[in-house]
Amino acid sequence: MSGEIINTYLLLVIVSSLLVNTVLSVYGVFFKPHYIKKVIALTILSDTMNTFAIYIGYRRWVNGLNPRPPVLTAQPAPEALEKFTALAVDPLPQALVLTAIVIGLAVILFLVFLGYVLFRHYKTLDMREIRRLRG
Amino acid sequence: MKPSEVITIVSLVLSIALLLTLAYVYLVPSTSVRDLAVFYLYTTYNPVEKYTAYSPEGVTAIVWDYRGLDTLFETAVFYLALIAGLALARRLFAETTVSSARAGLSTIVKTVTRLTAPMIIAVGASIGLHGHLTPGGGFQGGSTIAVAPLLIIVIFSVYYLLASGLTTNKMLALRSMGLAGIGLTAISALLVGLLKGEHAYVFQNMPKPDSLVGLPSHIGEFLISGTLWFFNLFEAMAVAAGFTMAFIVLLLVKEVSGNERRDH
Amino acid sequence: MTKNFVGESVSPEAITYLVMALMSLLSVLAVYMAIKEKDLIKAVIYSAIQSSFYAILYYLLMAPDIALVYLPVGVGLIPGVLIILISKTERVEKD
Repeated sequence: MSGEIINTYLLLVIVSSLLVNTVLSVYGVFFKPHYIKKVIALTILSDTMNTFAIYIGYRRWVNGLNPRPPVLTAQPAPEALEKFTALAVDPLPQALVLTAIVIGLAVILFLVFLGYVLFRHYKTLDMREIRRLRG
Repeated sequence: MKPSEVITIVSLVLSIALLLTLAYVYLVPSTSVRDLAVFYLYTTYNPVEKYTAYSPEGVTAIVWDYRGLDTLFETAVFYLALIAGLALARRLFAETTVSSARAGLSTIVKTVTRLTAPMIIAVGASIGLHGHLTPGGGFQGGSTIAVAPLLIIVIFSVYYLLASGLTTNKMLALRSMGLAGIGLTAISALLVGLLKGEHAYVFQNMPKPDSLVGLPSHIGEFLISGTLWFFNLFEAMAVAAGFTMAFIVLLLVKEVSGNERRDH
Repeated sequence: MTKNFVGESVSPEAITYLVMALMSLLSVLAVYMAIKEKDLIKAVIYSAIQSSFYAILYYLLMAPDIALVYLPVGVGLIPGVLIILISKTERVEKD
């Protein structure tokens, strides 16, 4: 059935593009000499990992009905709850990713302050120069 | 190319292809979710169930009720990172007020900002306070509110912000009030249980099977879901004040020459 | 059910996955431009473009809470703080 092959291929395009993003940002963290470029690449890396976690919580379409966000919009009668649990996506990865985004933001904020103090001390932000000048 | 490089690259590509072929059953989502997710979705707003959180929004209920301790420690990590950043810049800034009408960008941009900055704060407050009914919550609302001081700092100048009363000490006081509010709300059910002489837990929201103390889920006819509304309010206040403090300090650090150094 | 130019019917599921795959592909291009660019202001702008593509992807994956967090943080606060740091330090990355 060609429809199923197209669906599987499009979903694997998403996975492989996230993998390529991971590879590019890890390359940027290790091999680019400027401090701010490393911070940008670290931001991209943490966001890509969070996207992986949200992608795991997704579910496929059931009988032609699309999946819903995990928000209950009707009165809690038993049949409404059955329909809700049959169609809503997984809410647990979203809660964990919320925590992870806040922690990543706190780390980036601290790295920015550290970058300014580094510049005041060494007058440059090129990590090869700092390695040569260091004590 | 050396033969070792050729062998490395070819084997890497072939093994990634083999891995994807064997694991593609797990890489493509299925039509059903796990049992734990079914439990969370079934009990998130269910008046007859005994583990309910009384909030129709599943993600906020997990963040502040089912797994509330994770969020408490995440708030502590954010607080520590902010304190560490401010400690790095401790002798490097001076909060003087040198304001002039010419500082900042042009008059057109200033007029537009005077119209849109209150709207940004209103939208952020709405997102933050309705977190238990629709998608939203404390952190979403707080970071939306924190965009408005960033705009004012860039378009007017940072000295305008300081001259109009938003200094670092006031932001620190607001942030401390928000964190104290979160701590008090977390142990409120415990205090009520201690006063009445009954068994209660820390971080408790609704009555559970073996501790019948809980916070009310409705006030009159409005749904507030117990502790969730108060958590969202205090978290939005703490996050917005913390970001504003970080922006002010980051804009004010500069080279302080020898005779201007003050002791903080 | 819409029909494509061959005459078969294209399901709404495939259209949703097509838009998701398109957003992911465009984000890969934005990440590559951000890593390669030597002018740091342009690199920060490319990173903000990648963040907005990710926010659309989060909405299509049925996670509206995450999209509401990620838009102010990834497009407003992080590029703002990085641009303030660049204005106080260097702007161009040398070889």
